[in-house]
Amino acid sequence: MLQVKDVTLSFGGLVAVNHVSMEVRDGSITGLIGPNGAGKTTFFNIASGVYTPDSGEIIFDGKNITGKRCFQINEAGISRTYQVINLFKKMTVLENVLVGMHSRIKSKFFASLLHLPSQRAEEKELRKKAMKLLEFVGLEKQANDEAGSLSYGQQRLLEIVRGMASDPKLLLLDEPAAGMNSRENDELMVLLKKIAAMGISILIIEHDMNLMMNLCDYIYVLNYGKLLAEGKPAQIQQNPDVIAAYLGGE
Amino acid sequence: MKRTQKNLKRPLLALLAVLLLSVPLIFSGFPYAILICCFILLYVIAVSGLDIVFGYCGQISMGHAAFFAIGAYGSCLLHDYCGIPIMLTMVIAAVLAASVGAVIAYPASKLVFHFLSLATLSFGEIVYQIISHSPGGITNNFVGYYTESINFFGLTLDTYPRFYYYALGCAVLFLTAKQMLVNSQVGRAFIAIRENHHAADGMGVNVRKYKVIAFAVSAFYTAFAGAMYAHLVRYISPDTFMQKQSVMFLTMLLFGGTASLAGPICGVTVVMLLNELLRSAERYQMFIYGILLLAVIVLIPGGIYGTVEKAIKNVFRRKKEATKDAAG
Repeated sequence: MLQVKDVTLSFGGLVAVNHVSMEVRDGSITGLIGPNGAGKTTFFNIASGVYTPDSGEIIFDGKNITGKRCFQINEAGISRTYQVINLFKKMTVLENVLVGMHSRIKSKFFASLLHLPSQRAEEKELRKKAMKLLEFVGLEKQANDEAGSLSYGQQRLLEIVRGMASDPKLLLLDEPAAGMNSRENDELMVLLKKIAAMGISILIIEHDMNLMMNLCDYIYVLNYGKLLAEGKPAQIQQNPDVIAAYLGGE
Repeated sequence: MKRTQKNLKRPLLALLAVLLLSVPLIFSGFPYAILICCFILLYVIAVSGLDIVFGYCGQISMGHAAFFAIGAYGSCLLHDYCGIPIMLTMVIAAVLAASVGAVIAYPASKLVFHFLSLATLSFGEIVYQIISHSPGGITNNFVGYYTESINFFGLTLDTYPRFYYYALGCAVLFLTAKQMLVNSQVGRAFIAIRENHHAADGMGVNVRKYKVIAFAVSAFYTAFAGAMYAHLVRYISPDTFMQKQSVMFLTMLLFGGTASLAGPICGVTVVMLLNELLRSAERYQMFIYGILLLAVIVLIPGGIYGTVEKAIKNVFRRKKEATKDAAG
């Protein structure tokens, strides 16, 4: 599905991502962990088109998407959520999801201006689909509330459904559990497993080890921009390098 | 609750329509008032255009007088030099302004806030310089340019009531189009860009393309209003298209409230009426605008309409809660 080959990106003298290669397999949940400042989010920003890598290639679904812009990558089928909540706060919950569908909308400018029958029919379909997505995460009652008025956990959920709205093949989740309590955490895990079961592959960054070990099929560990280890959760837990990186020591 | 709101809406709209249609009759002995109403209508179109780019898309423009000028001069010059009927030149000039807007917006889409306001400010100044020092003096420079009334399918719109009905038709058309646009995926993309352009980009919105569209549509509106102005007054001079005109558009918009249908209407009406009341103090006009703008930004950030809307919503919510409490 997603293949990242030997990607490097530096900011001035700092090499944020240093010759990293990794792969996300079809229908899998792949984890990305590492201490703070290891380059995880930078790596996400490369994969989603915010940054263009200095060298290396990113292949998605057999196509080279290196250097493509964010909206083009979204069109190609990779969607994402953000570490800091990045909702459209003054828009309603439903509208947030509708914006998420943007790259799948067929109506063009003049059809929208004139509200042609084809546009109206499409809009109706979109709204139906958006409501279904909201029901999927249990936000249907809040559909017409402002996104900014939702609770923190609900905003996180809305970020996820907004990401799912473009029917992506791959969803990048940047710390979706940040700030959630343990009950919300459990619900999130069930939800992510459901999403994966729907055939959407997931690449997830998270600090909650318990969640990651139970959720992921495969885990990559980054440290100081370099790939430190990779493997199944059980292997990662035993890896002396990973333990050293997390607990300190030489 | 919803039903009472809906039941109220229809008669209110009908009343408003009757009122608007009878303006020339009400003021039949007072043509100056009809002229002011004509100005209000054309400024509503201009400011609604600014609202698309500033209110909805969140991109500030300090140079909308330039589009107003392109519409006015474009329409007059095309009519005089190419002999095209004014009905058409108004549209052509507006399309021209939209193209110019798109060309300006393409590089400017990288700029935000104060950098964008500087860029648009200088664009306004460039257009002002061109019309006041035109090549070959085709705009008559500071002398000003005389033009004719609109010929509406054989009917010359040379009286205020005639122009009023034409302007009313145009305003209804433009405002309807604006509502249709902002209630579609294009409008959602605009608002998404205003709210969070990183997230909009990540969700598949081509941010640059939509900023260009917003500027172009906005320019079309304001330029068309400029052409209306030219053929209403039948005389234009660079004075009308100075920086202070751009500031006035922004004042009207912020005064009324951004990102709504009624905001520009409220803002234009109130500022125009104030304008008339303050005729005797014309020298202090900019001073008074400045104070008004400051007062609105500090005291009622939502503008007049925004504040009224909020108050009405609060009343309805309280009523709803009261009935709920009574029931429970």
